[in-house]
Amino acid sequence: MPEPTAATATPDAPGTGVSASLGGDAWRRLRRRPDVIVSALVVVFFTVMAAFPTLFTSTDPQRCIIGDSKTRPQGLGATHPLGTDVHGCDMLAQLVHGARPSLLLAFVVVGASVVIGVVLGLLAGYYLGWVDTVVSRTIEVFLVIPLLLAALLLLSLFRNVSVGSGAFDVILLPALVLTLFGWMGYSRYVRASTLEAKNLDYVTAARALGASDLRIMVRHVLPNAIGPVTALVPTAIAGVISAEAVLAFLGIGVRPPAISWGIMITNGAEWVTGGYPYLLLIPLGCLILTVLALVVLGDALRDALDPRLR
Amino acid sequence: MGRYILRRSLLGVATLLLVMFVLHLLTTFAIQINGNPALAFFGERVPTAAQLAAVETRFGLDDPCYDQTGNPCLGPFVERLGAYAQGDFGTNLRGREVTDIVATAAPNTLKLFLVVTIVWFLLGMGLGTVAARWRGRSADHGIRLTSVLIDAFPIFVLLLVYRYVFAVPLNAWATETFGADSLPALWFRPSFDDDHSWATLLVPGILLGLAGSAAFIRLVRASQLESYAGDHVRTARSRGLHERHVVLHHVMRNSAVPVVTAVGLTFTEALAGAVITEGMMNIYGMGGVLWEAVRGTDVALVLGVVTILAAVTVAVMLVVDIAYAALDPRIRYA
Amino acid sequence: MGRRAALAAAATAVTLVLASCSGGGGGDDEGGDGADGGGGSDADATLRLALAQDVETLLPMDSNVGDNISVLDVVYDGLVRYDPETTEPYNYVAESIESDDNTVWTIKLKHDLTFQNGEPVDAEAFARAWNYAAYGPNAMANNYFFERIAGYDEMQGETDDDGNVTEEPAADTLSGLEVVDPQTLEVTLNGPFAGFATMLGYTGFYPVAQACLDDVEACAVKPIGNGPFQVEQWDQGVSLTATRWEDYSLEETPTYGTIEWTEYAGTENWPDFQAGNLDFAVPPPAELATAQNDPDLQERFVEGPGAALTYLAFPLYEDGPWTDIEFRKAISLAIDRQGIIDALLPGERVPADSWVVPDGVPGGEAGTCQWCEFDPAAAKAALEKAGGWPDGEKMTIHLGQDETEQALFKAIGDSIQENLGIPYELDPTPDYFDRRSARDFSGPFRANWFPDYPLNENYLAPVYASGDAKNGNTEFGYYSEDFEAAIAAGDEAATLEEAVTHYQEAEAVLAEDFPTVPVVFSVNSYYYSENVSNVVLDPFSGEPKLRLLEVTNGM
Repeated sequence: MPEPTAATATPDAPGTGVSASLGGDAWRRLRRRPDVIVSALVVVFFTVMAAFPTLFTSTDPQRCIIGDSKTRPQGLGATHPLGTDVHGCDMLAQLVHGARPSLLLAFVVVGASVVIGVVLGLLAGYYLGWVDTVVSRTIEVFLVIPLLLAALLLLSLFRNVSVGSGAFDVILLPALVLTLFGWMGYSRYVRASTLEAKNLDYVTAARALGASDLRIMVRHVLPNAIGPVTALVPTAIAGVISAEAVLAFLGIGVRPPAISWGIMITNGAEWVTGGYPYLLLIPLGCLILTVLALVVLGDALRDALDPRLR
Repeated sequence: MGRYILRRSLLGVATLLLVMFVLHLLTTFAIQINGNPALAFFGERVPTAAQLAAVETRFGLDDPCYDQTGNPCLGPFVERLGAYAQGDFGTNLRGREVTDIVATAAPNTLKLFLVVTIVWFLLGMGLGTVAARWRGRSADHGIRLTSVLIDAFPIFVLLLVYRYVFAVPLNAWATETFGADSLPALWFRPSFDDDHSWATLLVPGILLGLAGSAAFIRLVRASQLESYAGDHVRTARSRGLHERHVVLHHVMRNSAVPVVTAVGLTFTEALAGAVITEGMMNIYGMGGVLWEAVRGTDVALVLGVVTILAAVTVAVMLVVDIAYAALDPRIRYA
Repeated sequence: MGRRAALAAAATAVTLVLASCSGGGGGDDEGGDGADGGGGSDADATLRLALAQDVETLLPMDSNVGDNISVLDVVYDGLVRYDPETTEPYNYVAESIESDDNTVWTIKLKHDLTFQNGEPVDAEAFARAWNYAAYGPNAMANNYFFERIAGYDEMQGETDDDGNVTEEPAADTLSGLEVVDPQTLEVTLNGPFAGFATMLGYTGFYPVAQACLDDVEACAVKPIGNGPFQVEQWDQGVSLTATRWEDYSLEETPTYGTIEWTEYAGTENWPDFQAGNLDFAVPPPAELATAQNDPDLQERFVEGPGAALTYLAFPLYEDGPWTDIEFRKAISLAIDRQGIIDALLPGERVPADSWVVPDGVPGGEAGTCQWCEFDPAAAKAALEKAGGWPDGEKMTIHLGQDETEQALFKAIGDSIQENLGIPYELDPTPDYFDRRSARDFSGPFRANWFPDYPLNENYLAPVYASGDAKNGNTEFGYYSEDFEAAIAAGDEAATLEEAVTHYQEAEAVLAEDFPTVPVVFSVNSYYYSENVSNVVLDPFSGEPKLRLLEVTNGM
């Protein structure tokens, strides 16, 4: 945002070019933290894996030979470096190809939810009146209908509809359901923060000075409200990745034969007590590592971006 | 305040009706697309047309609108509302009273949720406060790391490992040490026991609560960090108040607002966890009942159960909103 | 969520003698009161069993899944019961069951038997139960069992295509049922059927009291039986308790006092068994190896061959490679049955190489299927002979949503893909049965058969016979004149032995035509606690025979 801030009353914003300097400053702070670097590398690693699975394995994850069932991990260079699952499918190939649905789903869902939630929350909190009534009613209806019920109902509605097998097709239903039921939290927080911020002195001052609604919302109210939302985003991504596993367990997530980490964890969990812990630990380890990295990144980002916490 | 409560209650009822209508539309649509749920009654067998007609009549599915895709079936909806108003929630596809099913299932789920809520609140407020108070120190890092790890662990893995690896030996140990009917032996029973519902629900409730607690810990931490940076805390500190007093009265009390909101928000989300927990620990509860009902397109049961669930949720949200208004006076004039 | 379809209805077979290794009282003989049931039970002992949560009714006419059958087996007595070793029926409530022409059957009942409410168990008690079940609009699950009795068709009514009733049933009683006197029931069938007496031990043929029909809803929850146990309380979805009926007058009654069933949504009850809260359990696949290596548990293990056949069927009504017998052979030869079982369900299934369970029922024989071994080379050759599989197309395998079956059929699909190069996809559908009867399948599909009574005929006629030369049978469009003739010859045979031989000829026709591919037979197995002994599995349900069990208080 190139234009200078109008007569700002923000105590922490030192004069002009707030955003630019804040962003640059945050970047410099982040670069210096080793945990951030490591986390970023982890996220990049798995993202590359999701985008270009063939870089990591040339084995077809759908080629399963029952005679090779439950081969233990053989180490790098062998036919099955990470062993095989119950059906004799190669674990490494499954893990690599399973990254795409899991990560794609998480990013799509959280991205869409945040946008919907923030916009609606901001509007409701700022204008109140009928806008607020409509948004609040909608939020309440979605809060009252359990996500699981909606997922099941939608699934049973579309159970005879073939959605195809492309990368987006296999996550379409879970993404739709999780987004539909994922935005209300952001909306409520943003609405509450907007209510608070609206009464703050500097906002009142800005309004008195004739700043437009949009400008006040974006420049003054939003930064104030975005704090709790930023804190929620990493958890939300972790949440969606875990939720995918839960939906897979209930059989209403990514549709087989597509593979996802959740499906692998579900299948592996059965055998964890039977002497084949690697069937669970390998996909679960990847999931936890990714989630952990995302949370560290998110927290660091939040610390760096929130001016009031300096 | 009285007028505020009245207004919120009316809005709550409106929400409830809206939810029921949306669900009615969805289920009607599902029947119209996928065919007759009365077929489910016959399982593997192919019923004769006469048998099918008999079952349809028995469960009020004989209205022709169910055969016309796109028809909202308002008639049956109004009829159903009328029946609900008289306390008649109908029967499931097997002829069992919906109220009877709910009366058996609901207490177990409510008990489970109560344990879960307490765990959330205790862990969230406790660990969140510690993490915020000693921000950036090892306690903070440890708590955050642990909460992420727990969060990433799917609840079914937690329950599976508990049941198959820990429950049996713990139960054997407790039985040996304290006796078969002692409280500790019941705590570690691998499955729910209706005669000792509280004792056998405790561990599943704690595990389910644990799995969802990370969000609360992080929420409390974040909101308290903001409080620490807030003017009122600075003022309190500058007035020379004790740090403990500041934390208790200014920081923790303020952070309770988002936590209360979140408890209300998470209530219905916990249902997914409830389905899994109930399924794995063999608790006869609302989650499992609803799950089976949707899978069997048992319309009367789905709508009956959801209506009751929705009523409870609306009530909880009402209480939350009122508590919210009580904690933050500005809200109620909004 | 369950790993196995809840101990579903299964008729079983014979070789159950394994059980007797720990018979005769177990390790804990104190307090055994030595009453007529066979000795080792404590009169106040409680047997604790698991029950599937989908049990919704205990009405005999409406019960046909494994779990309510196993409850009703101790609550009701049927005309005949089955010998656990030979599966042959012997008269129980019936004094005699006789027929000169296999069409008109005279059933004489034992005297002075009563229901638990004091009503007499007479010919009328059977007639009222059967009429109720056969009446179409009552929509009883066991309705179809009565189709062999004269007058069945008149009780079904007519409806138009929209399901609206156009014609009420013309009759509300079976014309083929006649109560000659209180102890005599005469049954006239539509045609001769040598196996009729064999059917009569099934749940659907139990008698009911008049009080039961007066309030059917109450009776479905709290049955009025004539068996050795009466249902004390049923908290639906949670638990079911039955106690011994002290006035029981027949001989087959155990001496323990109470049976407690705990309802389970899935079959995840192994830890409860380990914790000592259940007397019988089956470990999940992952725990099998651990259980098999536990010497203590191995002493408390009982196993018997099951009789449920899982097979792969083809939409023969639809044009496709599968209409060529060579293609069906190729598929069958490409399936590594033993390898699949070893990997997924060790000890819980056996490879099938016949259409009737061998040794289990009269006329069952192993090895009637000559293309049921695993031979990839022969499979490839057969596929070539059939002209191969169309390039670039996927073979869809349709099945229901049971998780165990999905795993099994994924492995079958993998086997076919690997050995024949045919890419496949599974189509687990919740509308499996509707779609199957609507002929809505575009590829091979899973099918399964649980026999209802122990006779090879039950594996054959209900599945493959239709009498419809043009369209074939509904499910897969199979028709064979030779097959129909062999079945008819069996039905008309003078003795059961002769009938069985004719039915075997019908199976031989299947083996020639190869319309379906047998895959696996079920196996029944249980681990049991130290509190129970004399464990014998029921030839039908695969469940322990509760009437033979001995239970002590343990601990």
